[in-house]
Amino acid sequence: MNVLTIQNLSKSFGKQRIIDNLNLSVPEGSVFGFIGKNGAGKTTTMKMVLGLLQPDNGEIHVCNEPVGFGQTRTNQYIGYLPDVPEFYNYMTPIQYLKLCGEVIALSKAEISKRSEELLSLVGLYDVTKQIGGFSRGMKQRLGIAQALLTQPKLLICDEPTSALDPVGRKEILDILYKISGTTTVLFSTHILSDVERICNHAAFLNEGKIAVTGTLAEIKALHGHESLLLEFSADKDLQLFKKQKSAEPLLIYSEENNRELILHSRNMENVQKTLLRILAETGICPIKIELMEPSLESLFLEVVK
Amino acid sequence: MSGYIAFVKKEFTENMKNYRFLILFAVFLIFGIMSAFLAKFTPEILSALAADMEMTSEPVALDAWKQFYKNISGVGFSAFIILFGSCLSNEYSKGTLVLMVTKGLSRKAVILAKYTVAVALMTISYWISYAATYGYTALLWNDTSLAHVVFAAVSLWIVGFLYLSILMIGCVIFKQTFTSILFTGGIVALISLLGMIEPIAKFSPFILTSKNVDLISGKVIPAEFVIPAFVSFILSIFGLLIAIRLFNKKQL
Repeated sequence: MNVLTIQNLSKSFGKQRIIDNLNLSVPEGSVFGFIGKNGAGKTTTMKMVLGLLQPDNGEIHVCNEPVGFGQTRTNQYIGYLPDVPEFYNYMTPIQYLKLCGEVIALSKAEISKRSEELLSLVGLYDVTKQIGGFSRGMKQRLGIAQALLTQPKLLICDEPTSALDPVGRKEILDILYKISGTTTVLFSTHILSDVERICNHAAFLNEGKIAVTGTLAEIKALHGHESLLLEFSADKDLQLFKKQKSAEPLLIYSEENNRELILHSRNMENVQKTLLRILAETGICPIKIELMEPSLESLFLEVVK
Repeated sequence: MSGYIAFVKKEFTENMKNYRFLILFAVFLIFGIMSAFLAKFTPEILSALAADMEMTSEPVALDAWKQFYKNISGVGFSAFIILFGSCLSNEYSKGTLVLMVTKGLSRKAVILAKYTVAVALMTISYWISYAATYGYTALLWNDTSLAHVVFAAVSLWIVGFLYLSILMIGCVIFKQTFTSILFTGGIVALISLLGMIEPIAKFSPFILTSKNVDLISGKVIPAEFVIPAFVSFILSIFGLLIAIRLFNKKQL
């Protein structure tokens, strides 16, 4: 089942078309990376899902219920963490969660129980100072706590890590990973290592459309080329290898670096067969043969080209 | 409903914590006390400053009420509108409302809660000011000839509801505090201008702010205030409905 489906969504600001016929589905239980450049329309899309912006065209369904602009019914399924969450500065974390709990009509006991759990989860349990004195990382963590208070089916995070230092980033990613068992997480980012670390699904947004989407493995398999690294013990081995007639097709797309040779191809199986044959024929023994995983970064650059 | 109550509580706390209520309470209380004292002692102060000036008449209790209505309808309500002009613009610019609305707090509840709290604080400040003027006037003059003192005060209080309702529209439409205040000032000025046009003057809420002293002195009768009070009441509700409607369409 899909927690979120977006069909033919379009949105323009003035003459600029930010979102152009976008289609996307987020399966239940996934950690979904929503990847795009700065200004690609990630925030715009998320705001439309939350009913904060009016789409020009298209339909959005959250848990099979349609989203309407200005209406907040579907938001009961969603927890939202904006890129820079802002709270009422004069409150303490516990007071803020109490306000949130009262807004969603939780009982007093339930509010204190959930607040305690969530503040422990995000590491703010003992913090009694006012939110006004919080660092960005702390605000981000409180942001996750407030978003999870409703026990949402879908947690939407807008670039939760982009403004944080390495420690803060690690903390946020760890928290997102921890909750991924109970909640579907959709988070937008342009930091690809974050996606590789915790996501199992992803979509690339480019020029207002979804350029690629699927599980991380699918995306990597579908797109981009694979590479094979060969390291020789001596330069003469490398030169000998290059002289082989049957090695010529392998060298069309290749990089050379000291005693290393990287072969790129879209058909890695053939490359491997040929390579092993050459090695057997010539008796060259490389010290390393490695099949390189396609990186998301190379994919991203390919997509946004 | 639970969202509304939670937000009302939050608004109360906020107005305490940012000293808005304290400032308004102080302003209104000072005006209340000053009205009677200024009326009583202005002639003496003036004659002390300029010995050769002749005072034509002794100050009376009515002068204290003149001061009260001048101050409250002018400076008092202005202070109120200026301080509450930022009640939504702060939340817009900081983005604090987004988290509330995305949690399912209805936009109607936001507007109604803000209005409720503004009206409640206005009511407290206003009647404290009234009590101060009433008390000191009684103390200084012991004049029992004045009529409809409470009724006159009620009519200005009713206008307070209308002003705040207009302010809510301004706050919803404009993202800046200044423009919301300007909008409210403009509409209030428009109401007073319309109040001067003969055929509609009888119905205009403007009467409620301009003829209070005449009512106390007996120049006009309470019946003349009934329709304007009703109109003011209807306009307040209408204004609130417009504010809610506009807020529903607002991109946060």
